[in-house]
Amino acid sequence: MNLLTLVVLLPLAGFVLNGLLGNRLGRGFVSVIGCGLPILAFVAAVRAFMQLDGAAGAALVESAYTWAVVGDFTFDVAFYLDRLSGLMTLIVTGVGSLIHVYSTGYMKDDPGYARYFSYLNLFLFFMLLLVLGRSLLVCFVGWEGVGLASYLLIGFWFEDPAKAAAGKKAFITNRVGDTGFLLGMFLIYHALGTLDFDAVNEAFQGPVPPAVSASLVGVLLFIGATGKSAQIPLHVWLPDAMAGPTPVSALIHAATMVTAGVYLVARLNGLYLQAPEASQLIAVVGVATAFFAATIALVQTDIKKVLAYSTISQLGFMFLALGVGAYGVAVFHVYTHAFFKACLFLGAGSVIHALGGEQDVRRMGGLWRRIPFTFWTFAIATAAIAGLPPLAGFFSKDEILWYAFASERGGSPLLWAVASFTALLTAFYMFRLLILAFLTPSRMAHEVEHHVHESPPSMTAVLVVLAALSAVGGFFHVNVFLEPIMPLPETDHALEHLELPLIVLAVATGLAGLAAAVYLYRGGLERADGLARRYSGAHRLLSGKYYVDELYEAVLGRPLHWVSERVFLDIGDRRLIDGSLHGLAALAQRGAGRLSRIETGSLQFYVWLVVLGAFASLAWVWGHG
Amino acid sequence: MTWAGLLLWFFALAALAGGVLMLVARHPMRVALALISSMISLAGIYAILGVHVIAVFQVLIYVGAVMVFMVYVIMLLDLRDSSFLQRYGRAVVPSVAIAALLAAALGAAAGSGRTMTAAEFAMLQPGSTPASFGVQPFSVAFLERYWLHFEVTSVLLLAAVVAAIAVVRTGRRRDG
Amino acid sequence: MDSTRLLLALAVTLVSLGFVGVMVRRNALVLLMCMELMLNGVILSLVTFAARSATLDGAVLVFLVFVVAAAEIAIAIPIVLLLARQRRTLDVGAWSELKG
Repeated sequence: MNLLTLVVLLPLAGFVLNGLLGNRLGRGFVSVIGCGLPILAFVAAVRAFMQLDGAAGAALVESAYTWAVVGDFTFDVAFYLDRLSGLMTLIVTGVGSLIHVYSTGYMKDDPGYARYFSYLNLFLFFMLLLVLGRSLLVCFVGWEGVGLASYLLIGFWFEDPAKAAAGKKAFITNRVGDTGFLLGMFLIYHALGTLDFDAVNEAFQGPVPPAVSASLVGVLLFIGATGKSAQIPLHVWLPDAMAGPTPVSALIHAATMVTAGVYLVARLNGLYLQAPEASQLIAVVGVATAFFAATIALVQTDIKKVLAYSTISQLGFMFLALGVGAYGVAVFHVYTHAFFKACLFLGAGSVIHALGGEQDVRRMGGLWRRIPFTFWTFAIATAAIAGLPPLAGFFSKDEILWYAFASERGGSPLLWAVASFTALLTAFYMFRLLILAFLTPSRMAHEVEHHVHESPPSMTAVLVVLAALSAVGGFFHVNVFLEPIMPLPETDHALEHLELPLIVLAVATGLAGLAAAVYLYRGGLERADGLARRYSGAHRLLSGKYYVDELYEAVLGRPLHWVSERVFLDIGDRRLIDGSLHGLAALAQRGAGRLSRIETGSLQFYVWLVVLGAFASLAWVWGHG
Repeated sequence: MTWAGLLLWFFALAALAGGVLMLVARHPMRVALALISSMISLAGIYAILGVHVIAVFQVLIYVGAVMVFMVYVIMLLDLRDSSFLQRYGRAVVPSVAIAALLAAALGAAAGSGRTMTAAEFAMLQPGSTPASFGVQPFSVAFLERYWLHFEVTSVLLLAAVVAAIAVVRTGRRRDG
Repeated sequence: MDSTRLLLALAVTLVSLGFVGVMVRRNALVLLMCMELMLNGVILSLVTFAARSATLDGAVLVFLVFVVAAAEIAIAIPIVLLLARQRRTLDVGAWSELKG
């Protein structure tokens, strides 16, 4: 069987088997199938990847199935493996498998164990469709599918209405973005007659520009990406999505699904190279989102929410890189981010598990001795995200900052300045989290403190692997690896001498963030609380997440609800539709009532009617005879 | 105008007068008598036309049986009820109107016949010999050629008798 | 006018008068008698044409119509009697249960 098709179908088989048989065959079966199949998919992906390297850079294409033939147009389901999709597949299956293994420990006591693993495998299937799909259409199927899986998994504990609502919010917000994706897809198809990525890139790079504005398509597809990758203004679903189980947050909302937007833009780099306005927009939105989310993360008290806003912020960095033409660098950051963010989320899961469900950092502290594995892996991942060398985050973030400053395709000092400040904030709030959760004297409740215990090996082993990858993963320079298909932008020669100073500045920023966090939070919350009281207005604004949700509710939610209720329900449904039916019935009834007056019960009246009829027929015959 | 023609007019007017009287009289007995006079006038008309056997049968059967029966029943049912006080039911004018329309239509239909040929006209003279419509030729035609119709009508009469008995017996049982 | 026209006009008039009687009079027996008037008008037209024909077929038909009329009246009057006995009146308006 074809390797790529196998990679894609193995998780699907896991979904079907666990979904249908899991509850009947028990935990063991579910764990073996649920983890085993993704691991097999990873092995197959590695093999395919090696085949790729052997094929001297040409891409592997496998056509799996002809979906539809409409007149002259054929829509195929085909898979495409080049360096970019190969890397993404390895990340998805590799980190995915690790998280599956972690879940066997984390979700051990949950009654929905089989359902959880079948949904997780379903997600993996759709994500692989997304990254391996050759055409925008297959990618879109995967796009929608991961949205569905995300909804199912966020609302996994659906008996709690708040959690179910979070799932709904994620799905609906994604859907809003998807209109942009669809419109972009329609325009591309209309102009080019094909949806295959390689054909689209070639068409836009070719000598004859296609009949559609690249910037327009670029902006539309980017709108889809903002929905999926939680950029402004469609970022509101990601913090709420923390209602789902922590491994889900790690897999979907850190390592894989949210990077789908980045993947899309990077994959269509041929198009975006010809769309300077769209790229500008992407860069600005990216850096603004990064800054915006980082400021909110400064005051969050839920350990998962801090990580959620951190994810939004890091995604902003990736889009910044995409916006200035450094597509390979953005993918590099996807790669490193997958490692350290997954490690952070799983570490948070481990903390929550240890504390029996506590998620508020104000009630943590002093855990570094009690759960050492968790602490050290969390610390390594925090240093990675802060950009401290020689960990992975340092390499990728530095490249982003450099290209933001110096790229010929849109780099500017302003972008660099905002991004650097955001990096400072990132280091600060991440170390704040580390200190408050692990290093300060304990603020835990007594019963909780009694039961603190290290997580089982299924969880800690995965943490160790991910921490190791966060540490050394940066040495594999993905941006260089991807150069053959995504050339790095030219940098302004006049600024090249500033490259090294900027690196030093970046490291200094990270250390400054660390120092500030240590200063403010050493010994607990008192100093920080004092600061919050002095700047209470700003604190409230940030705690309230800039009141974006409230704004959306007021501007969109309530008017739509009003329209639904007053216009469509009252007027449209009740008055028009029901009313017309009732009206017809009433009309029939009244008509029948009037007509029934002809039955007077009087024999002589009936004779009169007979004579009338006789006269009429005589007259008619006479008239026409 | 010949005597026959004059008599024809006379009987026609008599029949018409009887009909009008029927509509106007209050007591059913007077209505019956008006009808009887109308029928006798019609018998006269048949006789003038030369169809003597039919004229006789009109008087024998229609007046002698049907109307006598009707008179008996009127005399038996001495019911003083609302129909005596109020002759007419609802809506007299529309009834007259529609009947007038019907009459116009029928009249137009009847009057739209073609004019007669001389041969046909010759046949029309009143006073065709009584013998041609006499009892003997009539009976011969009746029982020779129309014997099937004769048998069928006798069955009909039998059915009528049985039905009358059944109706009356049911009525009596309900009364008892 | 010639006799045929006269007699046909008379027949039409008798039928119409009978109709008016049926529609207008309230006594059930009078109603029946008006129907008899109608029937007589029709028979008159039949006889008018039969008298003109060379054969006796018309006359035989008239005789058969008499027979049927007699049979009909033999049934109709007992029915009216029973109806009258039920409602204790000969008024046709007493029977209006099909109203509405």
